[in-house]
Amino acid sequence: MQGILKVFPLNDFALIWGILLFPLVGAIVNGIFGKRLGRSAVTLMALTAIGVPFLASVFSYWVLLRAGGDAGHGHEAAKLYVKGWDWMSLSLPQDAGSTQLEVAFSLDGLSGTMALIVTGVGFLIHLYSTAYMAKDPGYHRFFAYLNLFIFSMLVLILGDSLPVLFVGWEGVGLCSYLLIGFWFGEDKNAQAGRKAFITNRIGDFGLLVAMALLLYYGGALDWTSMSSAAESRFLVPIDLSVGVGRPIGAILEWLGLRYVSAASLIGIFIFLGCAGKSAQLPLYVWLPDAMAGPTPVSALIHAATMVTAGVYLVCRMAPVFVLSPAAMFTVAFVGALTAVFAATIAFAQRDIKKVLAYSTVSQLGFMFLGAGVGAFTAGFFHVLTHAFFKACLFLGAGSVIHAMHGRIHDADASQDMRYMGGLRKYMPVTCWTFVAACAAIVGFPGTSGFFSKDEILLKAYTSSVQLPEHSRTLKLGTEDIVLMQWPSWGPAVLFAMGVAGAVMTAFYMSRLFIGIFMGEFRGWTVVAVAAKSADHAHADDGSREHAGHHGPVAGLELEGTKPSESPWQMTLPLVVLGFLAIFAGLLNAPLLKIAPLEHVLAPLFEHLEGVVLRPDSDLLEHQLVWFGVGAFTVGVGAAIWVYHLKQGKPAEEFAARFSGLYRLVLDKWRVDELYQETVIGALEILADMAVWVDKWIVDGVIARVPAFLVSAAGAILRLFQTGRVQAYASFVVLGLVGIGWYLAMPHAELSVLGDAVSGRYVVSASPGLGYTYRWDENGDGKYESNNYLARTSLDLSLGRAERRTIKLEVANVFGRTDEETIVIERPREDKSGGTTRIDVYNDDSGGLQGVVRKPGTANQGKQP
Amino acid sequence: MNQLGFHVESYLILATLLFSIGAVGFLTRRNLLTQLMSVELMLNAVNLVLVAFNRIHVGTMSGQLFSFFIIAVAAAEVAVGLALVLGFYRIRNSVHSDDADTLRH
Repeated sequence: MQGILKVFPLNDFALIWGILLFPLVGAIVNGIFGKRLGRSAVTLMALTAIGVPFLASVFSYWVLLRAGGDAGHGHEAAKLYVKGWDWMSLSLPQDAGSTQLEVAFSLDGLSGTMALIVTGVGFLIHLYSTAYMAKDPGYHRFFAYLNLFIFSMLVLILGDSLPVLFVGWEGVGLCSYLLIGFWFGEDKNAQAGRKAFITNRIGDFGLLVAMALLLYYGGALDWTSMSSAAESRFLVPIDLSVGVGRPIGAILEWLGLRYVSAASLIGIFIFLGCAGKSAQLPLYVWLPDAMAGPTPVSALIHAATMVTAGVYLVCRMAPVFVLSPAAMFTVAFVGALTAVFAATIAFAQRDIKKVLAYSTVSQLGFMFLGAGVGAFTAGFFHVLTHAFFKACLFLGAGSVIHAMHGRIHDADASQDMRYMGGLRKYMPVTCWTFVAACAAIVGFPGTSGFFSKDEILLKAYTSSVQLPEHSRTLKLGTEDIVLMQWPSWGPAVLFAMGVAGAVMTAFYMSRLFIGIFMGEFRGWTVVAVAAKSADHAHADDGSREHAGHHGPVAGLELEGTKPSESPWQMTLPLVVLGFLAIFAGLLNAPLLKIAPLEHVLAPLFEHLEGVVLRPDSDLLEHQLVWFGVGAFTVGVGAAIWVYHLKQGKPAEEFAARFSGLYRLVLDKWRVDELYQETVIGALEILADMAVWVDKWIVDGVIARVPAFLVSAAGAILRLFQTGRVQAYASFVVLGLVGIGWYLAMPHAELSVLGDAVSGRYVVSASPGLGYTYRWDENGDGKYESNNYLARTSLDLSLGRAERRTIKLEVANVFGRTDEETIVIERPREDKSGGTTRIDVYNDDSGGLQGVVRKPGTANQGKQP
Repeated sequence: MNQLGFHVESYLILATLLFSIGAVGFLTRRNLLTQLMSVELMLNAVNLVLVAFNRIHVGTMSGQLFSFFIIAVAAAEVAVGLALVLGFYRIRNSVHSDDADTLRH
């Protein structure tokens, strides 16, 4: 251990560079040279680029645990840190100096665990993709994107400050966009990618604002300063009605939102960013559409890693969040609401990936519920277990789709549950791993999902965020501002929503499993629509194409290949993830008194004083667990009754009786349509106006008028371009003659320098080659001499209010002359006052003396 | 006028005449070779002025120096100019300056 620490000291832990740079190198190599390298080389590069960081992460994590153990249970959480370079220097408001932003990376319990998830699950999914994408022409492009994603994700996780995290945050957004639209040939996929990117941008705006606020109030953006976030800095009242106009201010006042604390505002804006990235209400709409990407992408980015970045960020910003019960309750409530809302949509979906997508949204809601009530460990633990079981579910779904696609050749139909069923017989490995993952997500007692969800439900009831008594009211001027506290109905409502979400999860997941694997295979009877669109799909399956050309009628049985089990590259990750889905719960099972993860994360969160547990929480721990078990039993039991025992008849009857409601759920509550009508519609109107302005004002007036002037001038100037050398030369000669003429003529010019106070004026004539001058100095209209002299200036002394006309005649060597006349007038005494003047002179001893002259006394009396 | 009976005015008049002849020649003749010669004439007029004025400023040789530079530049200019005329003749089979009007169109 000592030797290791010598090579990699904790505060300069260079191995982090290894974790970061391997995926980047992989992305560059595969992206630039991938086409020429061939498939096996791309595979090798991609797997190395993710495998090595995984091993390095494991090693770093081990070092971290040992270092933490050596230090004993100190107050400081152990942390591996490496600094890259200075990034920029930001000046702070109110002359508080400046803060240095560094590109630095660190690995502590939170980021280390996250890095293990990303690289570990990432490796399995890379391996899976080598088989899943084997026939795709964009093989190297796919792995370049995937490696780039891993790199960005690691930057996001390991970044030691918010701006570095933000770089990764945007990077994963970009990769997500690229991978959702991976098959951009179809407009639908490209649209989905764009939707994801734009929705995320809305959230990113929140994150940017939060960063600015943090810098303004906190003065720093790195984790170390954040963890010591002072109450005094963030519990500052902010008047939101400033600068928004009177009506909006009045509305805010009426809503009771006029004054908020800085911590609340920061928390809400950070959560806006998290809601975008982690698909929470109201920004969740992009995630279901993101299923347009290849299934491994859905598993890696849109289930296991990227979408949990929001939860990670909330945990990371915990020291700021716990200063604001309002922000925390928002996080918890939005999380719980999303958990329930998304689950309702998952009831009616037929596309298996869509079901899993809404399930992901719902599970992310659970995570935010956990983090929001202050149970950061519980929320984060759900990130971990969810990564395992949801990745397993998605990969299982991918395996099913892979098999179905071999038969149906249609992207949509091969994901449709209605054509599946009975696949248990044909794909045993996929089936059993799916069982394992399903057991975890529905909360079968003892599985990973059971422990993580149970912990969240428990904490939703027992944990809340409270401010200490003395800081519940803030002073702003003379007013007392009472900050929002955790509502008394909060725990019960959050708990109820959580349990409802758990029941629904159990129901729709069981429905999904039964639909795919149980009963008889319905894929023999392929409807005409699916087969017709098969022609364009996958020419490499030419031998099976005939199924599509015989014009099948709905309900007619078709021959064709049986769905079959996937190759080992696909089943091995399934087995590993399925195993983890069942047993990873033991990492944090307080019920069984084993909680190693808690030990790792505790130093990060245990000093947060805002999180308050009910006094009887230990007692409730064993009572509330029955709610979790009950939710599982009710949900799964109902699904088995409806879909297995009664073959789905109760569901059909329900749909028939409440057809309006059913259609609404099937259409995902028409939220997309709502956004289309309101936000997007308004934007489109704005865009139309901008187009009009562009077309008629910019193009019509601003562009055409100068264009006309230029072309008119061109039409005239074109006449001078004769193409004859002589013509051009004559212009040159003309110019030469002009200059010569100017030089040959004398030019009399006079300039006056004077001081109205003293009455002294100097009139000088501008010089010229061979010029001689004669002057009329006294203003009688006659020149003082007949000869031209060399005198170039006159000194005059004028009395008060005197006018003098000065004439000058200039002659040059050719005897040409020119005349100039000026009138000089000394103004009357300025009696209106004016500026005070200080006369400075040398006194007898040689030192400087100054005399202050008030306005109006300037010229009276002599200098002393 | 200095003690050697040197009148700068006469040189200037000669130079003006030479320059005018060159300018008029350049403007009126259409033969590129003649035009080149006219340019040379104007350059020589300038040389003459420079040398004449140098005579007034006793002790410096900058006028002569400038003349040498101009002679060198004029030699280079003739080389380039003749090459251009030759090239032009190859393309257009003419040395008439009015034929060199491609850029106009």
